[in-house]
Amino acid sequence: MEDKQWMLAQLTDLFHKSRDYKQKALLMAAKELIEEQEKRKEQLQGELDGTLWNPGNWNG
Amino acid sequence: MKTLILISHPNLEESSSQQFLVQSLPESTEITVHYLEGAYPDGQIDIKKEQELLKQHDRILFQFPFYWYSSPPLLKHWQDEVLEEHFAFGYRGNKLRGKEFGLILVIGVGEKEYQTGGQEGYSISELTKPFQAMANKTGMTYLKPLSIFQFPYMTEEEKMQLLIQYQQWLMIDRPDSLKAREQWLIQELENTDQQLIEADSSAFILDEAIEMIEDNRLELDELRMHIDNDHQ
Repeated sequence: MEDKQWMLAQLTDLFHKSRDYKQKALLMAAKELIEEQEKRKEQLQGELDGTLWNPGNWNG
Repeated sequence: MKTLILISHPNLEESSSQQFLVQSLPESTEITVHYLEGAYPDGQIDIKKEQELLKQHDRILFQFPFYWYSSPPLLKHWQDEVLEEHFAFGYRGNKLRGKEFGLILVIGVGEKEYQTGGQEGYSISELTKPFQAMANKTGMTYLKPLSIFQFPYMTEEEKMQLLIQYQQWLMIDRPDSLKAREQWLIQELENTDQQLIEADSSAFILDEAIEMIEDNRLELDELRMHIDNDHQ
Protein backbone atom coordinates (compact mmCIF):
# COMPACT_ATOMS: atom_id res chain seq x y z
CA MET A 1 0.00 0.00 0.00
CA GLU A 2 2.85 2.38 0.86
CA ASP A 3 4.52 1.46 -2.43
CA LYS A 4 1.34 2.39 -4.21
CA GLN A 5 1.07 5.75 -2.46
CA TRP A 6 4.70 6.49 -3.25
CA MET A 7 4.21 5.59 -6.89
CA LEU A 8 1.07 7.70 -7.23
CA ALA A 9 2.90 10.66 -5.71
CA GLN A 10 5.81 10.19 -8.12
CA LEU A 11 3.51 10.01 -11.12
CA THR A 12 1.71 13.15 -9.94
CA ASP A 13 5.08 14.86 -9.74
CA LEU A 14 5.97 13.80 -13.30
CA PHE A 15 2.53 14.95 -14.43
CA HIS A 16 3.31 18.46 -13.20
CA LYS A 17 6.78 18.41 -14.72
CA SER A 18 5.71 17.20 -18.16
CA ARG A 19 5.50 19.82 -20.90
CA ASP A 20 3.29 17.75 -23.18
CA TYR A 21 -0.51 17.48 -22.97
CA LYS A 22 -0.73 13.94 -24.31
CA GLN A 23 2.01 12.81 -21.97
CA LYS A 24 0.21 14.39 -19.02
CA ALA A 25 -2.91 12.44 -20.01
CA LEU A 26 -0.86 9.25 -20.16
CA LEU A 27 0.66 9.81 -16.71
CA MET A 28 -2.78 10.47 -15.28
CA ALA A 29 -4.05 7.28 -16.93
CA ALA A 30 -1.17 5.33 -15.36
CA LYS A 31 -2.23 6.55 -11.92
CA GLU A 32 -5.85 5.64 -12.57
CA LEU A 33 -4.89 2.22 -13.88
CA ILE A 34 -2.86 1.42 -10.77
CA GLU A 35 -5.84 2.51 -8.61
CA GLU A 36 -8.15 0.34 -10.71
CA GLN A 37 -5.85 -2.67 -10.36
CA GLU A 38 -5.73 -2.12 -6.60
CA LYS A 39 -9.52 -2.00 -6.43
CA ARG A 40 -9.80 -5.15 -8.55
CA LYS A 41 -7.36 -6.90 -6.23
CA GLU A 42 -9.48 -5.97 -3.22
CA GLN A 43 -12.61 -7.25 -4.97
CA LEU A 44 -11.00 -10.55 -5.90
CA GLN A 45 -9.54 -10.92 -2.41
CA GLY A 46 -13.05 -10.33 -1.04
CA GLU A 47 -14.48 -12.88 -3.42
CA LEU A 48 -11.83 -15.38 -2.42
CA ASP A 49 -12.51 -14.84 1.30
CA GLY A 50 -16.23 -15.15 0.62
CA THR A 51 -15.70 -18.40 -1.20
CA LEU A 52 -13.63 -19.81 1.62
CA TRP A 53 -16.37 -18.94 4.09
CA ASN A 54 -19.12 -20.30 1.90
CA PRO A 55 -20.75 -23.12 3.95
CA GLY A 56 -21.31 -25.02 0.71
CA ASN A 57 -17.57 -25.60 0.53
CA TRP A 58 -17.09 -26.68 4.15
CA ASN A 59 -17.50 -30.33 3.48
CA GLY A 60 -15.26 -30.25 0.46
CA MET B 1 -5.18 -4.17 -36.72
CA LYS B 2 -5.79 -1.34 -39.17
CA THR B 3 -8.39 1.23 -38.20
CA LEU B 4 -10.22 3.60 -40.52
CA ILE B 5 -11.93 6.67 -39.02
CA LEU B 6 -14.49 8.31 -41.26
CA ILE B 7 -15.15 11.78 -39.88
CA SER B 8 -18.21 13.68 -40.99
CA HIS B 9 -18.83 17.24 -39.81
CA PRO B 10 -20.10 20.27 -41.74
CA ASN B 11 -17.40 22.47 -40.24
CA LEU B 12 -14.56 20.55 -38.67
CA GLU B 13 -12.33 23.60 -38.16
CA GLU B 14 -14.82 25.27 -35.88
CA SER B 15 -15.74 22.27 -33.77
CA SER B 16 -13.75 22.26 -30.52
CA SER B 17 -14.67 18.65 -29.77
CA GLN B 18 -13.66 17.37 -33.22
CA GLN B 19 -10.45 19.40 -33.09
CA PHE B 20 -9.69 17.90 -29.69
CA LEU B 21 -10.19 14.39 -31.08
CA VAL B 22 -8.02 15.09 -34.11
CA GLN B 23 -5.26 16.43 -31.85
CA SER B 24 -5.63 13.36 -29.63
CA LEU B 25 -4.93 10.90 -32.43
CA PRO B 26 -2.08 8.54 -31.60
CA GLU B 27 0.96 8.49 -33.85
CA SER B 28 0.34 5.19 -35.56
CA THR B 29 0.64 3.97 -39.10
CA GLU B 30 -2.23 1.59 -38.34
CA ILE B 31 -4.76 4.42 -38.25
CA THR B 32 -6.20 6.23 -41.26
CA VAL B 33 -8.28 9.37 -40.80
CA HIS B 34 -10.60 10.30 -43.62
CA TYR B 35 -12.58 13.55 -43.38
CA LEU B 36 -15.47 13.25 -45.79
CA GLU B 37 -16.51 16.91 -46.16
CA GLY B 38 -12.84 17.77 -46.76
CA ALA B 39 -12.39 15.07 -49.39
CA TYR B 40 -15.71 15.73 -51.15
CA PRO B 41 -16.71 19.39 -50.79
CA ASP B 42 -19.04 19.02 -53.78
CA GLY B 43 -20.58 15.80 -52.44
CA GLN B 44 -19.37 13.73 -55.41
CA ILE B 45 -18.03 10.60 -53.75
CA ASP B 46 -15.40 8.44 -55.43
CA ILE B 47 -17.09 5.12 -54.76
CA LYS B 48 -14.26 2.82 -55.91
CA LYS B 49 -11.69 4.71 -53.86
CA GLU B 50 -13.87 4.51 -50.76
CA GLN B 51 -14.47 0.80 -51.23
CA GLU B 52 -10.73 0.20 -51.58
CA LEU B 53 -10.16 2.11 -48.37
CA LEU B 54 -12.70 -0.04 -46.56
CA LYS B 55 -11.10 -3.24 -47.84
CA GLN B 56 -7.71 -2.18 -46.50
CA HIS B 57 -8.91 -1.80 -42.89
CA ASP B 58 -10.15 -4.15 -40.17
CA ARG B 59 -12.01 -1.71 -37.92
CA ILE B 60 -14.28 0.92 -39.48
CA LEU B 61 -15.35 3.83 -37.29
CA PHE B 62 -17.84 6.61 -38.02
CA GLN B 63 -17.07 9.78 -36.07
CA PHE B 64 -19.66 12.55 -36.16
CA PRO B 65 -21.84 14.94 -34.18
CA PHE B 66 -25.17 13.34 -33.35
CA TYR B 67 -27.59 15.62 -35.23
CA TRP B 68 -31.30 14.85 -34.90
CA TYR B 69 -30.45 11.31 -33.80
CA SER B 70 -28.43 10.66 -36.92
CA SER B 71 -25.32 11.65 -38.83
CA PRO B 72 -24.60 14.76 -40.92
CA PRO B 73 -25.98 14.38 -44.48
CA LEU B 74 -22.71 13.55 -46.25
CA LEU B 75 -22.14 10.45 -44.14
CA LYS B 76 -25.63 9.20 -45.00
CA HIS B 77 -24.91 9.97 -48.66
CA TRP B 78 -21.61 8.07 -48.31
CA GLN B 79 -23.50 5.03 -47.00
CA ASP B 80 -26.01 5.22 -49.87
CA GLU B 81 -23.26 5.43 -52.48
CA VAL B 82 -20.43 3.27 -51.14
CA LEU B 83 -22.21 0.39 -49.42
CA GLU B 84 -23.73 -0.89 -52.60
CA GLU B 85 -25.07 -4.30 -53.48
CA HIS B 86 -22.46 -6.88 -54.57
CA PHE B 87 -19.91 -5.04 -52.43
CA ALA B 88 -21.42 -4.72 -48.96
CA PHE B 89 -24.36 -7.12 -49.27
CA GLY B 90 -26.20 -9.33 -51.71
CA TYR B 91 -24.63 -11.76 -54.18
CA ARG B 92 -20.83 -11.78 -53.60
CA GLY B 93 -21.30 -8.70 -51.45
CA ASN B 94 -19.05 -9.91 -48.68
CA LYS B 95 -16.24 -7.34 -48.69
CA LEU B 96 -17.01 -6.07 -45.20
CA ARG B 97 -17.71 -9.44 -43.63
CA GLY B 98 -15.68 -10.11 -40.50
CA LYS B 99 -14.64 -6.49 -39.98
CA GLU B 100 -15.51 -4.45 -36.90
CA PHE B 101 -17.74 -1.41 -36.99
CA GLY B 102 -18.18 1.30 -34.35
CA LEU B 103 -19.48 4.79 -33.71
CA ILE B 104 -17.74 7.72 -32.09
CA LEU B 105 -20.55 10.11 -31.23
CA VAL B 106 -20.28 13.69 -30.06
CA ILE B 107 -23.54 14.50 -28.31
CA GLY B 108 -24.75 17.88 -27.10
CA VAL B 109 -27.22 16.68 -24.49
CA GLY B 110 -26.28 15.04 -21.16
CA GLU B 111 -26.04 11.27 -20.86
CA LYS B 112 -28.81 10.93 -18.29
CA GLU B 113 -31.39 12.35 -20.73
CA TYR B 114 -30.97 9.37 -23.06
CA GLN B 115 -33.24 6.95 -21.25
CA THR B 116 -36.91 6.34 -20.64
CA GLY B 117 -38.22 9.34 -18.69
CA GLY B 118 -35.24 11.48 -19.69
CA GLN B 119 -35.57 14.58 -21.84
CA GLU B 120 -34.71 12.60 -24.99
CA GLY B 121 -36.72 9.56 -23.97
CA TYR B 122 -34.68 6.93 -25.79
CA SER B 123 -31.29 5.38 -25.22
CA ILE B 124 -28.32 5.78 -27.57
CA SER B 125 -28.59 2.04 -28.31
CA GLU B 126 -32.17 2.53 -29.49
CA LEU B 127 -31.43 5.67 -31.50
CA THR B 128 -28.47 4.13 -33.32
CA LYS B 129 -30.36 1.03 -34.48
CA PRO B 130 -29.95 1.87 -38.23
CA PHE B 131 -26.14 1.72 -37.81
CA GLN B 132 -26.43 -1.57 -35.94
CA ALA B 133 -28.63 -2.93 -38.72
CA MET B 134 -26.09 -1.77 -41.30
CA ALA B 135 -23.30 -3.61 -39.47
CA ASN B 136 -25.52 -6.66 -39.19
CA LYS B 137 -26.45 -6.69 -42.86
CA THR B 138 -22.86 -6.27 -44.02
CA GLY B 139 -21.52 -8.93 -41.64
CA MET B 140 -19.52 -6.59 -39.43
CA THR B 141 -19.24 -6.94 -35.66
CA TYR B 142 -20.83 -3.95 -33.96
CA LEU B 143 -18.67 -2.46 -31.21
CA LYS B 144 -19.91 -0.53 -28.21
CA PRO B 145 -20.04 3.12 -29.22
CA LEU B 146 -17.76 5.75 -27.74
CA SER B 147 -20.30 8.41 -26.77
CA ILE B 148 -18.95 11.81 -25.81
CA PHE B 149 -21.57 13.84 -23.98
CA GLN B 150 -21.43 17.63 -23.57
CA PHE B 151 -17.78 18.10 -24.45
CA PRO B 152 -17.74 21.87 -23.68
CA TYR B 153 -18.68 21.17 -20.05
CA MET B 154 -15.92 18.64 -19.48
CA THR B 155 -13.22 19.42 -16.91
CA GLU B 156 -9.56 19.27 -17.93
CA GLU B 157 -9.26 15.95 -16.13
CA GLU B 158 -12.24 14.52 -18.00
CA LYS B 159 -10.78 15.69 -21.29
CA MET B 160 -7.52 13.90 -20.53
CA GLN B 161 -9.47 10.75 -19.71
CA LEU B 162 -11.31 11.11 -23.01
CA LEU B 163 -8.02 11.48 -24.89
CA ILE B 164 -6.77 8.17 -23.49
CA GLN B 165 -10.12 6.44 -23.99
CA TYR B 166 -10.21 7.62 -27.61
CA GLN B 167 -6.68 6.36 -28.29
CA GLN B 168 -7.52 3.00 -26.75
CA TRP B 169 -10.71 2.82 -28.79
CA LEU B 170 -8.66 3.15 -31.94
CA MET B 171 -5.84 0.81 -31.02
CA ILE B 172 -6.97 -1.97 -28.68
CA ASP B 173 -8.85 -5.11 -29.58
CA ARG B 174 -11.00 -5.07 -26.46
CA PRO B 175 -10.77 -1.58 -24.94
CA ASP B 176 -13.06 -2.59 -22.05
CA SER B 177 -10.67 -5.20 -20.75
CA LEU B 178 -8.41 -4.16 -17.88
CA LYS B 179 -5.69 -6.55 -19.03
CA ALA B 180 -5.72 -5.11 -22.57
CA ARG B 181 -5.52 -1.57 -21.20
CA GLU B 182 -2.60 -2.55 -18.96
CA GLN B 183 -0.65 -3.88 -21.92
CA TRP B 184 -1.41 -0.78 -23.95
CA LEU B 185 -0.42 1.56 -21.15
CA ILE B 186 2.87 -0.25 -20.51
CA GLN B 187 3.74 0.09 -24.18
CA GLU B 188 2.87 3.78 -24.16
CA LEU B 189 4.93 4.40 -21.01
CA GLU B 190 7.88 2.63 -22.62
CA ASN B 191 7.61 4.80 -25.72
CA THR B 192 6.86 8.16 -24.15
CA ASP B 193 9.47 10.86 -24.74
CA GLN B 194 11.24 11.38 -21.42
CA GLN B 195 12.85 14.55 -22.72
CA LEU B 196 9.50 16.22 -22.31
CA ILE B 197 9.60 15.75 -18.55
CA GLU B 198 11.74 18.16 -16.57
CA ALA B 199 12.84 15.63 -13.97
CA ASP B 200 16.09 13.65 -13.73
CA SER B 201 14.35 10.67 -12.20
CA SER B 202 11.68 10.27 -14.90
CA ALA B 203 13.21 7.12 -16.47
CA PHE B 204 13.48 5.43 -13.08
CA ILE B 205 9.92 6.32 -12.07
CA LEU B 206 8.43 5.19 -15.37
CA ASP B 207 10.27 1.87 -15.06
CA GLU B 208 8.97 1.45 -11.52
CA ALA B 209 5.43 2.25 -12.65
CA ILE B 210 5.63 -0.38 -15.39
CA GLU B 211 6.93 -2.91 -12.87
CA MET B 212 4.10 -2.11 -10.47
CA ILE B 213 1.48 -2.59 -13.20
CA GLU B 214 3.07 -5.93 -14.17
CA ASP B 215 3.30 -7.10 -10.54
CA ASN B 216 -0.32 -6.17 -9.95
CA ARG B 217 -1.29 -8.21 -13.00
CA LEU B 218 0.53 -11.26 -11.63
CA GLU B 219 -1.30 -10.88 -8.32
CA LEU B 220 -4.64 -10.45 -10.09
CA ASP B 221 -4.10 -13.56 -12.18
CA GLU B 222 -3.08 -15.52 -9.09
CA LEU B 223 -6.17 -14.41 -7.15
CA ARG B 224 -8.38 -15.33 -10.09
CA MET B 225 -6.74 -18.74 -10.27
CA HIS B 226 -7.42 -19.41 -6.57
CA ILE B 227 -11.05 -18.38 -6.96
CA ASP B 228 -11.53 -20.58 -10.02
CA ASN B 229 -9.92 -23.51 -8.22
CA ASP B 230 -12.29 -23.08 -5.27
CA HIS B 231 -15.25 -23.30 -7.58
CA GLN B 232 -14.18 -26.62 -9.02
